[in-house]
Amino acid sequence: MSLFGLRAPSRRALRAWGFALAVASVILPALPLGPLFAQPPLPLAVLWAAYGWAAEDESGWRAPLALTVLGLIHDQLAGGPYGLFVLIYLSAYLIGRVAAVAMSAPNLVSLWGGFIVTALLTIGIVAGVERLLAPIAVTPYAEAALITAILFPLVRPLYMAGSAGQRQGARR
Amino acid sequence: MRRAGAGRRVPAGVLLGIVLVIGAIALIVSRVGVAPGTDVVMQAGDDGAAAAGRVATGPARAGEGFFQRLGGMWGATARVEQLERENRDLQQWRELAQRLAERNARYEELLRMPEDAFGEGADIENSIAAQLVLDSGGPFTRTLVANAGADHGVEVGYIAVNENGLIGRVVSVGRRSSRVLMLDDYNSRIPVMGEASRVRAVLAGQATRPPELITHPYQLQAPRMDFIVGAQSLREGERVITSGDGGLFPRGIPVGLAQRQNDGSWRVALAAAQRPIDFVRIIPYVGVIAPESEPVQTEGPPLAAGSAVAVIGRQTMAPPPTTPSTVAPPPVPRPRPQQPAPQQQPTPQPANATPPAAQQPAQRRPQQQQQEPAPPAEQPAQEPDE
Repeated sequence: MSLFGLRAPSRRALRAWGFALAVASVILPALPLGPLFAQPPLPLAVLWAAYGWAAEDESGWRAPLALTVLGLIHDQLAGGPYGLFVLIYLSAYLIGRVAAVAMSAPNLVSLWGGFIVTALLTIGIVAGVERLLAPIAVTPYAEAALITAILFPLVRPLYMAGSAGQRQGARR
Repeated sequence: MRRAGAGRRVPAGVLLGIVLVIGAIALIVSRVGVAPGTDVVMQAGDDGAAAAGRVATGPARAGEGFFQRLGGMWGATARVEQLERENRDLQQWRELAQRLAERNARYEELLRMPEDAFGEGADIENSIAAQLVLDSGGPFTRTLVANAGADHGVEVGYIAVNENGLIGRVVSVGRRSSRVLMLDDYNSRIPVMGEASRVRAVLAGQATRPPELITHPYQLQAPRMDFIVGAQSLREGERVITSGDGGLFPRGIPVGLAQRQNDGSWRVALAAAQRPIDFVRIIPYVGVIAPESEPVQTEGPPLAAGSAVAVIGRQTMAPPPTTPSTVAPPPVPRPRPQQPAPQQQPTPQPANATPPAAQQPAQRRPQQQQQEPAPPAEQPAQEPDE
């Protein structure tokens, strides 16, 4: 598909940009770039990656390992307890896997709704960790997760294909 | 194609994710209760992250500085003009500060003058510091103009000295300036004496020498010594001081060193000529008070009739105390600097002429041995308080 003679970027290139955006969302809040690059308002792009990679049926080991590494880096840079962001990102990945299997004919609305549910569930997970395991602040994460959920339609092409036929994990 | 009855196979990624989730929970649990300050792993991670952050933000910091410089270039021209303007102002201030520092140093030198440098009887307390601002500019007179005048308390007859010795005498006074007749002027006649030999002489300025190319302003020439009494006792290099004869100058002001010339005459290497004269102290001095022009009327008996001198020899006891037969003259006040001197227009005076009473506070002095030059018809027009 081309528009004004411009070829649409390949799926591989879009995935690379999505991964770069996820890495940037982990690193940028740690840099002294001002409040605009804090989290929130900076979205948690790794949540997009986790949800998208799960929907794209990344059944291999790369997606969970990449999310674990990104989570550990995020934990280190955020100063939070080790494993918290790992838990969040892997939870989003697993929830995304369940949602991808459950959706028979996904469209943008259902994908967006699925991501919102995923984000809300991660907030619940954080609240559970805060209640059971470690004293952490839930509200900032909830704000960041909501911002991430609101912005999802804008970045969806970077993390998952537009149609169900392109997604291997979708139930046909 | 899945076989019937076969169970659903869980993807490896999901299994790995579940394992990692369990591991993450275990990691969180294992870190519970560990204070951040004692978490060695976290501290080591922070060190690594900080190093990586410095490396990562290096280009950003450099870029920030670059963009700041780039933004500053928009106002570079105005900034340069402003800095140049400030630089000019600062240079003026620096020159002013240097001038003031130099003047301050000179004033301090003048203030540190020992009392014997002013001679005996000089009114040091009321001395006036001044700066010599103008030369006479002609070949016939050797005078200097100081920036202190009648408003500052200067009067005709005051003495100008600096830390080296005698310079001259004030011969005319304006409101804010005064003219000092220097020792090497042709009209200058100063009674001096050798400090060791006590040889008396008159230090006479001379105008016989052609004008010299003087590199330093206010450079004094060596005046000649005339009317030397007992010249054979004068020694080469002897210190010459004012003798105080005539009452114009206090006794003991350093004048210079005696130098014998090839023709047998004596000159004085003026002490004040050791360096260019710039700052002086003008000293009030009232010398010997001249007798009154009219005899004082006394009420006592004539000296030949009832004086103690007349009966001395016959009187064995002291006479009884009586009322004073003579009335002492009232003390003559010294001229004070605060007294406003009238604007004077001095006229040429012949030698040994008595100055007008209104213009000469020291009018009761004896005959002046220093002849004053013809002052200018107008007051000097130099700027005051330079």
